[in-house]
Amino acid sequence: MAKRLWILAFVVVLIASGVFGCGQPAAPSQGEDEEAGGAEAPQFDGEILVGIMVPVTGSEATYGQDMENAMKIAADEINAAGGILGKELKFTLGDDGCDPQMCTAAASKLVSSEVVAVLGGYCSGATIPALKIYGDAKVPFIITAANSTELIKENPGWAFMINSPGYHQADAAADCFEKLGVSKLAFVHQGDGFSENLAELTRDEWLSRGHEVVAYDVVNKGEQDFSSLVTKIRSSGAEGVYWTAYHADGAMLIMQLRQGGYTGEITVADGSSSVQLLEIAGAAGEGVYCTSPPVVDYLPAAQKFISTYNAKYNQEPGPYAGLAYDGTHLLADAIERAGSTDPDAIRDALAATDKFETLCATVTFTPENVLEESNFMILKGEGGKWVLVE
Amino acid sequence: MSLQEIVIQQLFNGLLLGSFYGLVALGYSMVYGIIRLLNFAHADIYMVGGFCSLSLLTFFGGTFLGKGWLGIIVSMLITMIVVGLLGVIIERVAYKPLREAPRLSLLITALGVSMVLYNSVMVITAGEYRAYGTGLGYDGFSIGSVFITHTQAILILAAVALMLVLHLFITRTMYGKAMRAISMDRDCCRLMGVNVNKIIALTFFVGSALAASAGMMAGVYYGSLHFYMGFTIGIKAFTAAVIGGIGIIPGAMLGGLLLGLLESFGTQIPLIGSAWKDVFSFTILIFILIFKPTGLLGKKESERM
Repeated sequence: MAKRLWILAFVVVLIASGVFGCGQPAAPSQGEDEEAGGAEAPQFDGEILVGIMVPVTGSEATYGQDMENAMKIAADEINAAGGILGKELKFTLGDDGCDPQMCTAAASKLVSSEVVAVLGGYCSGATIPALKIYGDAKVPFIITAANSTELIKENPGWAFMINSPGYHQADAAADCFEKLGVSKLAFVHQGDGFSENLAELTRDEWLSRGHEVVAYDVVNKGEQDFSSLVTKIRSSGAEGVYWTAYHADGAMLIMQLRQGGYTGEITVADGSSSVQLLEIAGAAGEGVYCTSPPVVDYLPAAQKFISTYNAKYNQEPGPYAGLAYDGTHLLADAIERAGSTDPDAIRDALAATDKFETLCATVTFTPENVLEESNFMILKGEGGKWVLVE
Repeated sequence: MSLQEIVIQQLFNGLLLGSFYGLVALGYSMVYGIIRLLNFAHADIYMVGGFCSLSLLTFFGGTFLGKGWLGIIVSMLITMIVVGLLGVIIERVAYKPLREAPRLSLLITALGVSMVLYNSVMVITAGEYRAYGTGLGYDGFSIGSVFITHTQAILILAAVALMLVLHLFITRTMYGKAMRAISMDRDCCRLMGVNVNKIIALTFFVGSALAASAGMMAGVYYGSLHFYMGFTIGIKAFTAAVIGGIGIIPGAMLGGLLLGLLESFGTQIPLIGSAWKDVFSFTILIFILIFKPTGLLGKKESERM
């Protein structure tokens, strides 16, 4: 009986999305959509509460805020098209602060708010502790940015990664350095789950391709002085440096490398793909390469999303906005396919995702709930901006 | 790079890092010497100094002073005065009413002040990193493959000059003499007609001004600021003060330089490397404290009964 009701609701949603979706295509992009949409807002049959777990404080707050913004845009579109199963998609926020302890608190908070599913996860180190919590509570979790392979190992089966995992990036980085003609490479990471994992993977990949690793170092979070490390890298004869951690410290490392007289190539990983890195590094940031996840600026399919984001938040979407937006749509699609908010049904629907077209990639999951195809690209710092390298 | 060049370059790196530690350590040491307080807010004063100077420098960037050395020196002087006064206000508001209270209350108050400072800056800056744009380039001189930028050289000289001025101030002026006297016996000084409150305020002014200058130098050198930047350097500088003998001015400078050098050589030594450099330096420091519990320059203090 209940099932029939759901099918009925589904049909209603389809019709509603046909009517409302085509009828007012530009409506959600208006600045004050709450008031503007008030009169013609679709009638919802209850709500679906989804948790967002991103850092909105701390050093990674910029990224977290950006992801939350993108998810809200996707939610506006979904709700304007009649919601999910006729219900309104609503969010509740858990701030993980890019910190394992805060993450545990945020995850517990979301679980106790009885969310249907969770979106987010930016810092791998602050996502791993949440996997078990969501797994125990049977909450499907779409990880929209974090991509450490540790996540794959620790995943009890309830998490789905829509960003390419670390080993996809290790390949991209090795390709990048090979193209630049580098053979002696130095690695610098920050000792956290994400950056150490990526440094290890890339090092192994680099060695397996028959090249040389001359330095493999770590800088502690919060430290400002890297000059002794710079001297060590220079004395090792490195031709390329791969920085696998985040943008704020990355900018300082780049400046100090140039200040210390290092003239070789520098490539940074996706945690450093923010324009802020180039702003802080200034002249030193010119010519720095970056292995980046799909940044919406360079994706032809994402132009409408960019203009909506601009209109709503009066700023450019950041590097993970596209994935966050995609994740929200993927979740909505999966719940529709599941036909209910039953956690097992949603999980099975997510696992069965077959060539779901999103802005950044075509999503199909492997049995480990990881993206099948890589989505990395190479950027270069030019004139204070990242530009796509082909 | 030959071994010699590596040693010279690391020596230089260590000296620069050590002089930052030393400048901050001085404030810890002076305040501890005079009112026996571990001023946890001191590291945040360093951070506030960085941000204060950035606003000034941004402001002067638009005037004839520019963002070059002239603008930097003017902003540094103003920053030192402003942040020095902030230190005095903190002492007056938070510490003075508790001067006769148990020391633990004072310690907790200091933690509170620290939180107030860094949380305020976090709110003002929205928790983001701020680029410290100066007009200085990466020009420098190289001796073999040892490379030193002009900025680095000037910063080291400035730090050493500040320490020298402080040393002269403490040893050659009446104010300095009063500070040293108060650190020995406050009540006796009061009986001798020394204005204790004024001298304590002066100590906070000088200590905070030095930390602010270090904060500004860090901004100029590292190119970015963050509300939490004081945390790590605060711990290191505090350690430096203890190693040198807390309460003893030349000890703080010595401790700072020693810690800086240990860190930079620790990075270079194989098997230790960057991951273990803190373990390396702190192990050595623990050994120093085992054999010389009062610090390198510390004197044996006999308990007055």
